[in-house]
Amino acid sequence: MDPSLPYLTLLILIGCTECFPDDRQQNGTGRYDYCVLGAGPSGLQMGYFLSRAKRDYVILERNSGPGSFFNKYPRHRKLISINKIYTGSQNREFNMRHDWNSLLSDRPNLLLKRVSRDFFPPADAFPVYLSMFEKELGLRVRYGVDIGRIGAVRSPEGRRYILTDQHELDYTCSVLLVASGLWVPQRVEFVGSDLVEGYESISTDPEDYKDQAVLILGKGNSAFETAQSISGRAKLVHMLSSNPVRLAWQTHYVGDLRAVNNDLLDTYQLKSLDGLAEIPLDKIAITQLKEQGWSRSGAKKKVNKPKFCVTLKKYLQHQEEKNGSDARRAETLEYQLDNFSMRKPYDRVISCLGFRFNFSIFQSSARPLNSDNAKGRLPRLTAWYEGDNTPGLFVLGTAAHSRDYRSSAGGFVHGFRYTVRSVHRVLEQRYHGNPWQSTELSTTQLQSWILKRINEASGPYQMFEVLGDVILLRGSRCEYVEEFTLQALPRFSSLSGHEVSKHGLIVLVMQYGKNKVDYLGRGRADTEWTTAWKSNFLHPVLYYYDKLPTDEEMKLRPPGWPLPRPKAIHHMVEDFLTEWGTPISHIQPLRRFLEHCVQTDLRAFYNHASACPSPTASRRCFVSRAT
Amino acid sequence: MWPCVAALLLLPLGGCARRTGPSALTEHTAADFSDALHSGKTLFIYFQQLVSPTISLFLVELEQSADALQHYGVLVGKVNCNKESFHGYCAEEKAVNTVFLFRGGKEFLGFSLDIVFDVNSIVSEVLFAILREEIKYVHTETDLLAMEKAARGRKDIALCYVSSLGTQEHRSMMETAYVLCFTQATEIRRVICFTRFTQPWRRKPKGIGHRNPPKKLIHRARLSFSVSPCSVDETSRSSQVWFLHCSGHSRSMTSEHCPSTRMSQPLSTLSLHSFLQLMEAPLVSEVYQDPSSVRPPQHPYQDTPQVFLFSRPATKREDLYEATALAWRLRGLALVLLVHRSPAVKTPEEYNAAYKLPEKGSVVKYLRSNSADELLELFTNPVEEDEDEEEDEDEEDPEEEPLDALDDEIAESVFENRLNLPDADSLAQLTSDNFHATVAQSSLTVALFYLPWSAVSNAVLSSFSDVAERLEGSEVQMSVVNCAEWTDLCAAESGGSPPIPFQPITAFPTVLLLRPKESAQRYGGLLGAEALHRFITLSQPASPVLLSTEEEVTSFLLEGFARYKPARALGLFRTRADAGVRQFTEAAKSLRGEVLTGLLTDGLAEKWAAEHGVRLPAALVLPSGAKRTRASALPASASAQELLSHIGAALLHPVPELTVENLPSFLSLGRGLLLLFVGEEEDEIGHTQNQALLKEMRDVVELGGGWMERYLVCWLHLGHTPAGMSVLGSYLGSMPPLPALVLTHLPSGSEVYQYPPNTPILASSVLQWLQRVEDGTESAAGMLGGGSWPPTTELFDFLKIMDMQDPDLSRQRASEEKVEEGGDSFPARDKYPHTEL
Repeated sequence: MDPSLPYLTLLILIGCTECFPDDRQQNGTGRYDYCVLGAGPSGLQMGYFLSRAKRDYVILERNSGPGSFFNKYPRHRKLISINKIYTGSQNREFNMRHDWNSLLSDRPNLLLKRVSRDFFPPADAFPVYLSMFEKELGLRVRYGVDIGRIGAVRSPEGRRYILTDQHELDYTCSVLLVASGLWVPQRVEFVGSDLVEGYESISTDPEDYKDQAVLILGKGNSAFETAQSISGRAKLVHMLSSNPVRLAWQTHYVGDLRAVNNDLLDTYQLKSLDGLAEIPLDKIAITQLKEQGWSRSGAKKKVNKPKFCVTLKKYLQHQEEKNGSDARRAETLEYQLDNFSMRKPYDRVISCLGFRFNFSIFQSSARPLNSDNAKGRLPRLTAWYEGDNTPGLFVLGTAAHSRDYRSSAGGFVHGFRYTVRSVHRVLEQRYHGNPWQSTELSTTQLQSWILKRINEASGPYQMFEVLGDVILLRGSRCEYVEEFTLQALPRFSSLSGHEVSKHGLIVLVMQYGKNKVDYLGRGRADTEWTTAWKSNFLHPVLYYYDKLPTDEEMKLRPPGWPLPRPKAIHHMVEDFLTEWGTPISHIQPLRRFLEHCVQTDLRAFYNHASACPSPTASRRCFVSRAT
Repeated sequence: MWPCVAALLLLPLGGCARRTGPSALTEHTAADFSDALHSGKTLFIYFQQLVSPTISLFLVELEQSADALQHYGVLVGKVNCNKESFHGYCAEEKAVNTVFLFRGGKEFLGFSLDIVFDVNSIVSEVLFAILREEIKYVHTETDLLAMEKAARGRKDIALCYVSSLGTQEHRSMMETAYVLCFTQATEIRRVICFTRFTQPWRRKPKGIGHRNPPKKLIHRARLSFSVSPCSVDETSRSSQVWFLHCSGHSRSMTSEHCPSTRMSQPLSTLSLHSFLQLMEAPLVSEVYQDPSSVRPPQHPYQDTPQVFLFSRPATKREDLYEATALAWRLRGLALVLLVHRSPAVKTPEEYNAAYKLPEKGSVVKYLRSNSADELLELFTNPVEEDEDEEEDEDEEDPEEEPLDALDDEIAESVFENRLNLPDADSLAQLTSDNFHATVAQSSLTVALFYLPWSAVSNAVLSSFSDVAERLEGSEVQMSVVNCAEWTDLCAAESGGSPPIPFQPITAFPTVLLLRPKESAQRYGGLLGAEALHRFITLSQPASPVLLSTEEEVTSFLLEGFARYKPARALGLFRTRADAGVRQFTEAAKSLRGEVLTGLLTDGLAEKWAAEHGVRLPAALVLPSGAKRTRASALPASASAQELLSHIGAALLHPVPELTVENLPSFLSLGRGLLLLFVGEEEDEIGHTQNQALLKEMRDVVELGGGWMERYLVCWLHLGHTPAGMSVLGSYLGSMPPLPALVLTHLPSGSEVYQYPPNTPILASSVLQWLQRVEDGTESAAGMLGGGSWPPTTELFDFLKIMDMQDPDLSRQRASEEKVEEGGDSFPARDKYPHTEL
């Protein structure tokens, strides 16, 4: 016998005990107040807030490290969230406006710039950063726990969520925070969709596309990123989807095509061989071309890789046949439509259609509904990010994007880090009776404070039209509540724990203009404060209500507005520097508006007007203290 | 007298006349400049260091102004610094853009070239400076009332409202004022500039100087209120002049204001002068001959129409009364003559009025008039038409322009001086990174927390840097924190390092006094340089100072502190270990900067207490400016808060003077204020009277004894605290005669009671009056406003504008409309929304 065998056995035994370091897990009854599902950016962000509030929580992660999505995606390894290190400002809050990757914490240096100084950092930097974030803040993450099943039970203490992992171990949680992200590739079903390669599995080596005709389904960032990567080798790249391409710098939506990815637009318009086309994907059919050709010379045909033809479903003769992908020439559009743009066959078809939420692990008792927008890919949520039919289950991060799909930044790190904070404040108020953090101010200081927020705050700036500051007027004092979820305004009092007095409230929102203008053309910007309501670029808007709007009023708000029609509204004119601090165009109109909201003169005075007898004399006067 | 004035006025002062003859501008050399200076003459000198097109343009204007100014005894000159190196001014950098006025051999004032850039602005500004003492300013209606009151029965007032400085109008006014003030034998009037309501923007031709105010801002201020009787028309933008006839009217008038006449002609030196002369003319002259044979008006009224009214012997009195009434309305427009019907009067009976225009060859026109208005129209209509036309021309600018005028005086003055704002960089900057190290370095760090865009912050920054300059070389480290940059420091977020020793800053500006290893002390006083400097200076000694020798005690009580004479409080305790010492030390901490505190224990304390006839623990206090210390026993186990109010009460003067600075602390006592308003003493007699009044008030306190403790008896000096004028006005609804004694801020209600104005203020009768007030037998003279301080302007209503221009934009959806979720897509909503994340 091998004498070393007993030792080996011993080692295995020791190893096994180390598999279960926590006795809570050992007996299979892990109970937590808060379970966070997923250790991606939103999960860790929530972990930070829970940890800072000293809550009983655990973050469950199926992989061995945080942010595993970013180990694979984006496939071509360049993050397109900006990492602007040099802003000329030392203001940490302001700098977060230009740092789209870092998470929120009270550590001044816990930022992505420690890992990468690139403006568009490599994707590998992100998991490194997340890991650093988790370790330095000592967040409780349990790796290697693959939750396969989530159910809800009613217990004497209220609703509980039970999460079951791959070892059939249960985690029981009062509040479930789903931060699992989006990673299931989105597919569109059409005839021949099985012939399509997916973004998740394609080769990222351009050499593999040498001299090939490539059709890409989709016109988002992953599609263009792929196109950009292969266009130097491929014979041609065509891109197909139902909608024309939407440019992020025009729509102000960072999920649309970013300029960093749009080389192909250039080669298309400059008459290279690439091109874009619009057809609804469920109307197309992709067929594998059977080489029926005959050779006049009778020579043996070279064995080619299969070719793919795009046609429309309605031209297929054998639609009922399951095996419709083997088409005959007569069914191709080249035959049917004389100059059809995709009449030539392709060597490859690649689907780059994004991702969907993984609904499959939820049992019916705990399953969120599908969203009305985004083709139902996302869970449907309340304005405070709770599942519509799943009380105590909140969705964080990218998966929570149904609230501001295609309109704000809630699907992206630089946006959802703030909504996560708002959700945490909802939790603190609901489960622990801690009202939202607020600042009490003298009403005479309100103007200064608003200007300060407008000029530095990152939350309302990134999450424009979704998060806004709420100012509760109380006569000579006021209460400043930051970054409330605007759509939940009718429920403000119960969600935030702050009462609204008879003096009413002001809501400060950053918003873009709703007019479609030529974004680089003349007259695109307004500089007159009196026409500030026509501003096109991001600018502050203040809504004054004498009481909280109702749910009904919120529902029927004017089209394109984040809030219902108020008693009075004030737009601060868009500014080229996005700095709102000029005396005539910004400050004085704001002061006058606030005067109407609080019904008080808010001017400051020299206390000794006679000390300044003549305007020619230098004004070394006493300034009275604003009280 | 008049001919001399007229001679002056006939000079070509219009500003448009360009003279070609020899110029009055003197080019000085060093020697003759010094001679001229020492001769005591008034000199207006430019030290030319550079040659540039701008300067050359200016010199042309300066030359022209020399002619004009020499009539006012001002010698205009220039010194060419390039010809000979000149002492002082030639070497000074600021002299490049400054012209200096010398009076009595000394520099009197420097004028920036931004301010004096053409003949009009030079003449007006120089005269403005010379007349500084002679011309009073009206800022509020109460100012005006007080001034009118003072002038009643003695003087008339010319009230001028100049819409912008440095203009032709301003110049005309100043020239007239000069004539009135210095050439008339009897100084019967004062010219009062009434400029406060406007932006002091200057008209300025393009291309001169560096600063061109935005066009729309030039004298486009919307007047925020009007002063009756001279209500300044809200829409009017032109300068205006009123004549207030105060000399002929004493207190008996029904209105508080003197009767007034508005000048209707456009303002020019000549028109202003003849207007003022017309005001001197008799209101109604009585004649006994026919209008056709009445002589035309004599100089200086030769350009004035005459209006004749006919009087019958039977209705002589009534006719005169009516004529006088009409004359008041026609003042400044026409002279009124009352023609007594006599055989010499040939005018047919059917006519009751007649007039004659001043033009040569014009004849008397007779008419039958039924009302005074008809006659009035004859002379006012053409003028009004003119005015209308003028206004129409002015209307070219859209209405919102006045909206851009800054109406916050601090914002306005900071904006006006934006090129000369103090540089925060010259002060030590506290940052999140250096905060702890910097504070540890010196025993006292004063930090100003500011926001760069806040006007008040900027105004305070200026006084703060003054204080920093004055404190240079001292132990005190003056520093600033830019809260727009160091937002985490201002929010007191330490980020792990030692805790920040203050609460998050939520008011800007805030001044904190920081000492190593102590929590910060917040400065709560006025933000002017003087008050700040005083506080910081007095904060430097320990609080309390630990005293152990007789000499130390004496010097603690007597020694002046810099130039301040702070109030002092000395705690006397049996031992250092006494429980009260800790409380006293805590109280001393919060008094730091305002009251010097000292601590004395053991034998010496016993001795001092015995000398003052109190038992330990005790406090000796010496109010600021007082000569004798007062002693009082302290409660044995008092909290720091109780000690504070004890010391505060002991320091309070029995009849303190109320100032803007101490008002909040007085109000916080929660006692009714028995407040005596006294005017500025013009002479020794006034001074004695005021002293006597204060003595009576002290007697009120003494006689009243414990009963008076519910009131705080105090006085307010309108000269020291001009703001008191409007306070008094708002208490009583009008300006009462001074001195005025009021009872206000009663805990029981907002009534304001006024001590009968015609009764002498004597302690005994004041006490009786107070008793009557308490008994409810006195009626209130006014009410305190409900603290309502309404918004300054009407709401600029974006919703209304949207509704007008695009009604659908801001309309709530009707309930049946489909509510679409999700954001707007681009382009318009698609049939196949499809995107990836």
